[in-house]
Formats: sequence, structure tokens, C-alpha cells
Amino acid sequence: MKIMTVCGLGQGTSLLLKMNVEEVINSLGIDAEVDNTDLSSVALENPDLILAGEYHLDSLKDADVPVIGISDFMDVEEIKSKLKKYFENK
Amino acid sequence: MSTLINISKWLADNIFGEPAVLIGIIALIGLLVQKKSKSEVIAGTIKTILGFLIIQAGSGVVVDAMGSFGPMWQHVFGIEAQPIQAMGTDNFIATYGGTVTLMMTFGFLINVILARFTPFKYIYLTGHMMFWLCLVVTGIFVEAFGPDVSQTKILLIGSVLIGIYWTLQPAYVQKYMKKITGKDNIALGHTVSFAAWSGAKLGSLIGNPEKSCENIKVPKAFDFLKDSNVVIVTVMGLFYCIGAVLAGSEYMGNFTGGKNYIVYGLLQGLKFGGGIAVILYGVKLLISQIVPAFKGFATKVVPNAKPALDCPVVYPFAPTATIIGFAAAFVTTIIMMVVMGLTAFYVFVPPMIALFFHAAAAGVFGNATGGVRGTIIAGVITGLVISLGQAIFVKYITPTTVPDFILWGGDTDMFIFGSILKFILGIFS
Repeated sequence: MKIMTVCGLGQGTSLLLKMNVEEVINSLGIDAEVDNTDLSSVALENPDLILAGEYHLDSLKDADVPVIGISDFMDVEEIKSKLKKYFENK
Repeated sequence: MSTLINISKWLADNIFGEPAVLIGIIALIGLLVQKKSKSEVIAGTIKTILGFLIIQAGSGVVVDAMGSFGPMWQHVFGIEAQPIQAMGTDNFIATYGGTVTLMMTFGFLINVILARFTPFKYIYLTGHMMFWLCLVVTGIFVEAFGPDVSQTKILLIGSVLIGIYWTLQPAYVQKYMKKITGKDNIALGHTVSFAAWSGAKLGSLIGNPEKSCENIKVPKAFDFLKDSNVVIVTVMGLFYCIGAVLAGSEYMGNFTGGKNYIVYGLLQGLKFGGGIAVILYGVKLLISQIVPAFKGFATKVVPNAKPALDCPVVYPFAPTATIIGFAAAFVTTIIMMVVMGLTAFYVFVPPMIALFFHAAAAGVFGNATGGVRGTIIAGVITGLVISLGQAIFVKYITPTTVPDFILWGGDTDMFIFGSILKFILGIFS
């Protein structure tokens, strides 16, 4: 599957989130490709799942794939519990 | 002996003198150190080189789209045009890109060493700002010592200065970061530091944190600000159209190639936004392999360090302050644009990315110590530094190297610390 992490410019915070999501994905043993981008181009990437800061959730409400909001990008535990929940309910 | 000289000459011509290859090698080493799989190593190296070439290509588009903006507004304000032969960021990167990338790498190593052995345990991880800052510093050195300056000399002095900046910049704003986040586990690693620090400082003197921006409701209409591509094109298209109307169809005929001058203005705005989108994509490719390697290395050497992160990490702590900070900065720059134009000093180009991201972050800092008043002050400081800084940089500090980058990406710390650097280098040159 393909996971995209998103921030306003697709440069800084989405890259940090990407690194932390990769760490979590590896620890959960999930096979996924993770990449980062900006709000306007995320739809073009055809992801299966989007992770973004909670303050971007409004801008992503029209996305046709699930979006997970993260409040603290550096909190690996938060990312882990939210991703776990997502994969359990899938 | 002559074989040795031949080998070193070959290396100099084909590796160190060819930025794209050099950058590929740095990425390759980074990926190998991280013990990535073979396919990831190959893909990552290629993506990094592609990123570098894409930045160059996008810079060319931006230079092209900006070609008539200055002359048009100079005509409107009746300013005598000063023809300056600038290299342009695309050509500058083609010549000095290797130095820029090596400065990023060595500067980071110095940051790690300082974090390991001094009380300043901060590791700078904002990759795109690292790239741009090294670009501007290299530009300042080339301006100060001339195009024949030894790139090794730039690299040695530049890396040390940059490494010190990346270590101390998070440190001097950490007091306010603690106040904003309520924790001490992350730091700010961003060139907004001067505006953020002075906004918070002044905010604490004249504002009241109890009167926080977060008690105010901001209309949803401002949500579109979060999409930077849209904002850049809208603002630049608008400024191009207004300029074209004021300059008149006759004058604009010099540029439009027979097209209607208002349609031409809109198209130039779109082209500008397109060029920036291309550059940002290139930077993303370039840094997305290098930053994880940096992070992995730093975590091993300085396990108890705090990561210094990109400025949007503070936005969730005061979302309304980001909008108010930006609005204050934007109004300030518009006033400055008119003042500098009417006094025939300089034609200001509103750099929407720097303005939005910087003023928003500075706004959060101002809000933490001074509420609404602090936020507005922080925004005004950002607007003043960016408008005056752009004028001074394009006219005096980097006129022949990367003035086109300064127009859309020049920002607060670059202007403040860059001016000081140019002044000091001027003494020795």
C-alpha cells in the first residue's frame, strides 16, 4: 500500500512525519511505501492512506481515501496507536 | 607523479566540479550508512540527483517569469532601471551547487559535534532551509570575494559558521518554544528565529498573553491560505495584472509578444507559481534522502539531543495567531511596497512562501508572550525585515548571484545574519 504524509509546503514537517511513520510501519511489520508531499498535490499521488497534521484535516475532507490526523508529529506512540487502530478496523 | 596529478584533475573536473555527481555521492553514502536495500540505494541516489536537476530547471522558469516584473513596476513608479547582470539561481547552482551541498553536509557535522560536546543539545533537521541557507551564504561569499574565490575557502569558513548557527539558533529561542509547546522535547530549527524571538520579546513588553488570539474566531474564508501554490499564483497574478494595467498596454507591448497585456500578466503569475512548484518538488527529492541519513547519524552520536524542527510544528498551538500574524505582515509589506516604490528606492516582490510561513510562526511566538498585540507586532517585524531585507539584498548584498531566489525565498534570518556576514567579509575582502 501507499501512504502519503502531508504538510502545507510538502518540505519540512511532512518529511519528519514520513520518517516517524516509516519507523512505526517497520515496527508493526506492515509492508507499505511512505512518501511526503504538499496539500495540493496529494490527490495526484493516488495514495491508499493519508496522514496529516490535525490543522490540515479541513483542507483534506474531500479526499477519497482515509485521512488520519496527527497532533504531535514527533510522538511516535501517537502515530503507532492511530495506525494500529486503522489497521485493526480495516 | 604526473599520474597523480591527472587523477586529481580528473576527480576535480568530473566529481567535485560537477555538483549533480557530488550530490549523488553524498546521498549514496547516506543510504549505504543507513543499510538500505540495494534497490532503495539505487532509487534514492537517482532521486537525489534528479531533485538537484529539477531545482535548476524550476529556477530557470522563475527567472523567466520574473523577467518583466521589475521593469514593469519600475516604469509604474518612474524608477530608473539599473541593469544588473546576475548569474541567476539556475546558473549559480550549476557552478557552486557542489559547495552548497558540501556546506550543508559539513555544517551539519559541525552541528552534531557541537551538540555532542557543548550544553547546546540541538540537532537541526529542517533540510530545505539548510539547503537554501547554504545557497545564500555561498552567494554572499562569491559577492564579497568575486567569482574567482576558492570554493574550498568558502566551504571551510561557511561550514563552521553555518554549523554554529544551526546549534545556537534553536538554543536562543528555546525559552519561548517551551512556553508555546509546554514541553522541552523539541526545538525550532528555522530561519524565522529572529522574527520569532523579537516578536516574543516585544510581545512580553507591551502585550498581554491573557488576551490570546485563540479567543478570536477567524472566518473559514482564510483556509485557502494553507494551500501555498494557490496563494502564490493568486498574489503574483494579481500584482502582475495591476502592474500591467498601471504601466499601460503600450509599455507592456515590449514584453507581451502580441498577447493582451492583462492576459499576459495572469499567465506570468501562473508561470511563476509553476516554477516555484517545480523547485519545491526538486528540493523535496533532494532532501528526502539526505535528512533521514542525517537524523540517523545524529541520533547515534548525540542520543539525548533535541530535534530542531520546521516552523509549522508550532502552528497547532495557536492556529488563529498564524492567520493574524500573516495578515499583519502582509499589510506591512504592502505599505512598504508603496513607500519604497514612491521613494524610487526599490520594487518589492511579495514572497508569499516566506511571508506566510515566517509570519505565521512569528505570530505564534508573539501570541505566547503578548496575546493579540504580540502577534501583530511579530507580524509587523516579519513584514519589515522581509521587505527592507529583500531591497537591501537584491540591491547591495547578492545582486550578481542569486537575486531571483531572494525575491521569492529570501527570509528573516538570511537578511539579518546575512547582512552581518557580508559586512564582516567586506572587511577582509
